[in-house]
This record gives sequence, structure tokens and C-alpha cells, in this order.
Amino acid sequence: MRTRREIRARKALRDRVAFHGVGIGTAFFFLAPFGIGFLASFRPNSESGLPPLPPWPLSGISFDAYRILDGFGSGVWQHTMNSLVVSLGTVVLTVAVSVLAGYGFSRYRFPLKNALFVLIIATLMIPFQSILTPLFIILARLGLNNSLFGLMLVYVTLQLPFSVFMMRNAFDAVPKEIEEAARIDGARDLRLLVRVLLPLVMPGIATVSIFAFLNAWNEFFAALVLLSSNDNYTLPVLMTAVRAGRLGAINWGAVQAGVAVMVVPCLIVFLLLQRYYMRGLMAGAVK
Amino acid sequence: MTERDSIGVALSGVRKSFGALQVVHGIDLTIRDGDFVVFVGPSGCGKSTLLRMIAGLEEVTDGEIAIKGRDVTDLDPSERGIAMVFQSYALYPHMSVRDNLAFGLKMARTERTEIERRVGQAAEILKIDHLLDRRPGQLSGGQRQRVAIGRAIVRKPDVFLFDEPLSNLDAELRVSMRVEIARLHRELGNTMIYVTHDQTEAMTLADQIVILRDGRIEQTGTPRDVYEHPVNAFVAGFIGSPRMNLLDAEWRGSGKMRLAGCEMDACLDGLRPGEGIVFGMRPEHMRVVANGPDAVQAAVEFTEYLGGTRYVYCKLGDGQNVVVELREGDDIPAGSAVWLTAPREHRRYFHASGARIG
Repeated sequence: MRTRREIRARKALRDRVAFHGVGIGTAFFFLAPFGIGFLASFRPNSESGLPPLPPWPLSGISFDAYRILDGFGSGVWQHTMNSLVVSLGTVVLTVAVSVLAGYGFSRYRFPLKNALFVLIIATLMIPFQSILTPLFIILARLGLNNSLFGLMLVYVTLQLPFSVFMMRNAFDAVPKEIEEAARIDGARDLRLLVRVLLPLVMPGIATVSIFAFLNAWNEFFAALVLLSSNDNYTLPVLMTAVRAGRLGAINWGAVQAGVAVMVVPCLIVFLLLQRYYMRGLMAGAVK
Repeated sequence: MTERDSIGVALSGVRKSFGALQVVHGIDLTIRDGDFVVFVGPSGCGKSTLLRMIAGLEEVTDGEIAIKGRDVTDLDPSERGIAMVFQSYALYPHMSVRDNLAFGLKMARTERTEIERRVGQAAEILKIDHLLDRRPGQLSGGQRQRVAIGRAIVRKPDVFLFDEPLSNLDAELRVSMRVEIARLHRELGNTMIYVTHDQTEAMTLADQIVILRDGRIEQTGTPRDVYEHPVNAFVAGFIGSPRMNLLDAEWRGSGKMRLAGCEMDACLDGLRPGEGIVFGMRPEHMRVVANGPDAVQAAVEFTEYLGGTRYVYCKLGDGQNVVVELREGDDIPAGSAVWLTAPREHRRYFHASGARIG
């Protein structure tokens, strides 16, 4: 005889199976491209043109694809460093500017404050491709074309509207009294910002950092237009250059290897900051 | 001048405007050193703004603020010799209790051993020694408020400023913290300025009560003073709970006034017969009497029974409401007619404009 207890246990089991089944299924669809790409990057040269399934190398693991990738241009390390310099530089500049701007917009009263803020946000609606030509001309005038620093400045510009918005919200969420208590305690200006407020807006900073890093790391178009010498290529540009195989065929192996290399820093950054990032996106959603 | 009588805080002609809106209209106030002064008033009366101006968190539009004889009007908050306790505690959530207490001293570049000594001392006074390594998020409301007070103590300020520090606590905790603050004042002997809208806090804690309305001081005095001798109808109605019954009446001349169709005695002079006056009686002074002269007839609407006392809500013939506090006697059923009066020495009379006339 089935007791109520058994019925409940069966129902709980059914629910758990359904819950985890759906979860695993969804996760599979998200993880499969990474898995396929990663496995395919270890195919030998001869297999690189084969259909994607099965994704694993059929005749033993080979590092041909990575060798091709490294043999191209100034070597994959050089290009990875280019990408890292640009991305980390973008993060640092974006955070520095958006923290100060966000603090200003959140705390100070000045004429045209709201109009200025709306103006900054409004630039989010302009597709950046449309301002690439003027940006190119400006950078050329400044003598910054084909320079990583110039590219960094462009990325910071593109990243700032969202970041300023994010940081203003982060500062808005910090109670005014905490700042006043700190002023009474004798913390002023930069010390107030660094010692008291910065730790409180860490989630916002993490969010801004992740976005700035990923966008700068993955950006292709501006890098393609602004960088003209091979040595300066960032990874996304390198990838399109390395793609071209013999006789117009596409060297998928090298592309897969490039993808594998490119994913690693993104994963590291996200895993490092995700704790703050989750909080940052949720901030202010519910009081 | 003795030590006790020296001046702690002096405000002269202090004004504050936000744009065109003036919220504090020329406050002159002298607070003796070591006094516990409470600012009370309805919300929006400017009491918090005034406190924040003393703290230096709000700029003074006009006038002068001096603490212990030193002009601090334009000084930075940290240089004024004040410490403030906020309603929302305003602890630094990312620091341990110990760091919260030490932060101000670190900012002032105090020596490490001295910081440790003072933090230990403050923690001992407030009995929070066992919490020093916790974060504010791990504390209860009462503990957080202790830490906030501790942060004020370690600064060794000339003046403590409290901005409704107990409003976020539950009723029971509020009572015990109130006692604690009173004890603290006795032990430390500093000047304390305390803003509240809670009369019980004001009456129990204050040496001096300052009653504010619309950015002006209505009356300053000891709790007993403002309770027994209010200078106008506003103070009379504001201090005391339940509030004083303020009833519109008409002066008839020759020691009589007319209240809701009944004649009552009133010792006033200098008024024209027929002039309107406001007649005040506190609920606890009122008595129910048998039909008689010098009393007013009322209908009982309902009664609140509080154990030790009862509040009887009545309506006069002309629709004015009266509250009577009765400590003994039989219950009075709702709807019954009663006669109410109050001893002459407890009757207060105000001009229609609000000013006290007798």
C-alpha cells in the first residue's frame, strides 16, 4: 500500500529529475559550442576541413592549429599582449573616469545636470560604426592612428556612457548619511572616496570592469579600421587574418585554436569578479 | 562664570535658505556647557536642518555658530569638535566594528596605541567589547546604534549631536536605549543636542527643550516649564500626550466665558466681551462632575482602556472634541451625557492668534 509519505517522496523525486533535466539540457546548449571549438582545436591539419561532428580529433591529439596560430604575424603572445594592454587599459581608464563622473552626477548639484546626463546616455543610441570615420580622422590628427593607446581611447569613449550610468546608480544606492558620517570623522575628497565609498560601490565597479574588459577584448571592427600594421593587431583581428588558408579555403583549425586562446582571459575575469557582478546587476532592483 | 554656566554652543541669527525657500528664520540660542538640549517640533520645522548646520553638514546662509566660544560657522565638520549619531546609524558596512570606531581617529592620524585605548574604553562603556570583530551587518538594530554612539564617543567631542537616533528601533529597545543615553550624558557630562519628534524622549532626556515651528523657536525651557507654562497654544498643544484640549470659546466679560453653550468661569481681563478665545485644559486635569456651574456638557463617544488609566473621548454640543483622562471611577458608557470641568489653576487661556493670555 502506498502511504502518503511514499507519494510525496515520488513527487519530490519527479520534480527533482525534471528540474535538473531541464537545467542540464539548457547548460548543454550553452556549453556545446565551447566544447566543440576546444576539442576541434586539437585536430591535426589534415582533419581541419572535416565536418564539425564528431568534434574530437580522430587520429590523435595534435597542436598543428596552435603552431599555425603562433606562426602567424608576430606570434600569438605578442597579439595576446596587445589585446591585454588595450583591454586592461580600457578597464582602468573607464573605471577611473566613470567613478568620478558617477560620483559627481550622484552627489553634486550643478546647472544642466540632468540634461548632461541624458545627453551622455543618449550617445548609447548612436551606432558606433557611424562615428568611426570621424574618430579615425581625429586619431590621425592626434597622431594616434595605428597605436594601441589610440584604440584604447576609442574603447573608453564607447564604454563610458553605460559605465557612467552604472556608477551613478551605484553611488545613488549608498546612503548619504554614511558619507556625512565620514565627513564628520574627517575624511574628505579623495580619501573619502577611496576609503569609504569605493568599497561600497565595488559591485558597480566590477560590473563596469567586466563589461569594459569583454567589450574591448572582443571588439573587432574598430581595431580592424584603426590598426594598420600587423604587429599591433589585437586577437580578433589576428583571427580573421589567420583564417585565410591555402587557395581561399578557411583554416578552421587555426580559428578554433584562436577561439580557445581568446576565451581563457574572459573566463578568468568573469570568474574573479562574478561575485560582485551579480550583486551589481541586481542593485536597486528590489529595495 | 562657573564651569557649569560656561557656554557650550551659541547660535546667533542663524538662517538657512534652500534657493528662495527660507527654512530657518534667524535662530538665537545659547546652550550651556554640559546641558542636554532637545529640539522638538513637527516634521518640517527645521530641527534637523538646524542640527546639521551645527554639525557643518549644511551650510549656514546667515548668522554665526560658536562652540565653546570658538566661531565654527565656516569650519569643516571634523574640525568643530562635534560628533553625530544618525537615525540610520550610518556605520561603514565594509569595516568591522573596531574599524568603524577607529576610523575617525585614523583620519586624524592618532597614534595606534591611543586609538586602541580609546576604542577599548568606548566599547567598555557601551558594552560592545564582544562585538568588535563583527561587521555591522551581523548586528541587531540596538547593537548598531551602540556602535554609532561609540563612534561618537571615541572622538571625545565637545558636543554630541543626535539626529532622531532611536526612531529605527522597536518600542522596547527605544526605552532601554533612552535610559542608556541618559546614563551616558551623566557619565560623560558633555553637551548633547538631540533632535526628535518623540515627546517622551524630549521630556525624559532634556535639561532644556527647544520647541521649533516653521524654522522659528516657539519656546525654550525645562520640560516642566514648557509643559506647565506654555507661551502659546502651539506649544500647549504640541507638548503633552494626549495633547491639551484647545477649545474655541467666547469671552462674555465679568469673569465668564461661553463654551459650547455653557457658561464657565475665566479669570481674564483686558478683552472685549464677545471676543473669541482659545481655552486649554489638559486631559489629566479634567474631571467628570455632576451637573453644575462652571462645567461644560459633553457626550461620551468612546473610551480607551489602558490599564492604569482611561482616555474618554467626548464631543461638546458645538461639535468640538475633548479628551478626558480618568484614573479611577466607574466606566462611562458611550453615548451618555457628562459634565466636564478642570481646576482653575490648570486652566490656560490663549488669544485667538495663539498667544497666552492667562
